[in-house]
Amino acid sequence: ENSPAPLPERAIYGFALFLGSWFGFMLYLIWAYVPETWLFSLGLTYWPQKYWAVALPAYLLVAIGIGYILLFGINMMSTAPLNSTHTITDNYAKKQQQKKFQEEAIPALGDIPISEVNRMFFLPEK
Amino acid sequence: MEEREYRSASGAPIALRRRQYSASCRELVVRCPRLQLRSLSAATSAVWLAAYGLFVLCENSMVLSAAIFITLIGLIIYLHFVKIDHESLLVIGSLGIQVTSSYASGKESTTFIEMGHVKDVVINEAIHMQKVIYYLCILLQDPGDPQGVSEVVPLFQSSKPRLDCLIEVYKSCQEILEQRKTAPQPS
Repeated sequence: ENSPAPLPERAIYGFALFLGSWFGFMLYLIWAYVPETWLFSLGLTYWPQKYWAVALPAYLLVAIGIGYILLFGINMMSTAPLNSTHTITDNYAKKQQQKKFQEEAIPALGDIPISEVNRMFFLPEK
Repeated sequence: MEEREYRSASGAPIALRRRQYSASCRELVVRCPRLQLRSLSAATSAVWLAAYGLFVLCENSMVLSAAIFITLIGLIIYLHFVKIDHESLLVIGSLGIQVTSSYASGKESTTFIEMGHVKDVVINEAIHMQKVIYYLCILLQDPGDPQGVSEVVPLFQSSKPRLDCLIEVYKSCQEILEQRKTAPQPS
């Protein structure tokens, strides 16, 4: 049911978005370039100051640039520090139940404690 | 007693020295890379060049004296609070584990963890500053709850040895910690 294939409804949405974005762009150009006196003579007196036609794109670009740095910083802040127990275990591992070992069956999936993993990796002499 | 050369996580040379005091007492000392003369000269030159540039701009000779003071005091603070000379781990079976960091100025900072609180000494992997590093840590347990890990104490934080050195330290610690299971438990 959730395939990315083209559908008639999707074509209509796409065309509506295309027309809407062209209309919005033309409106923005008119607001930015047409002199205020001409707009007043047409009766459009309550449009925002033309200052914002330059300020908003500038704000947007700076916000995108800061967003990259902010995302990087948020990632670094959410990494667990080296002395936290989250690097060893979590709630699901603490509450897991040990299933009984059956002959000839695939063992159940579970979290192996770190002490056991260490012993297996680092202790046996080659 | 033996001493072997290894590398830290960033590639600097470090040395591990193992001493066995008795069958149940071992000390492992990791010596961190020394303060390099070239990095010290580079930092000093950078500060003095910046101060000379400021002096040329504002014609105030106090800037130069201030730069000299800043360099001296900065070096003293760095040696006393930041630069670690060696870190040691003293494992005494049935008593506890002592972790010592010695700074370059001679200051020593020690932590002792009694054996009742020690669950295990393991090598853990974690993400640290865009890298995944191996580090040795002591898992602490609550004496009342032997199944859970209450705290993690990372060791050798400033020398950051690589896996080969950590495996040697791990094996030495495990030999002593295994004696806990066979020895009679104190009530």
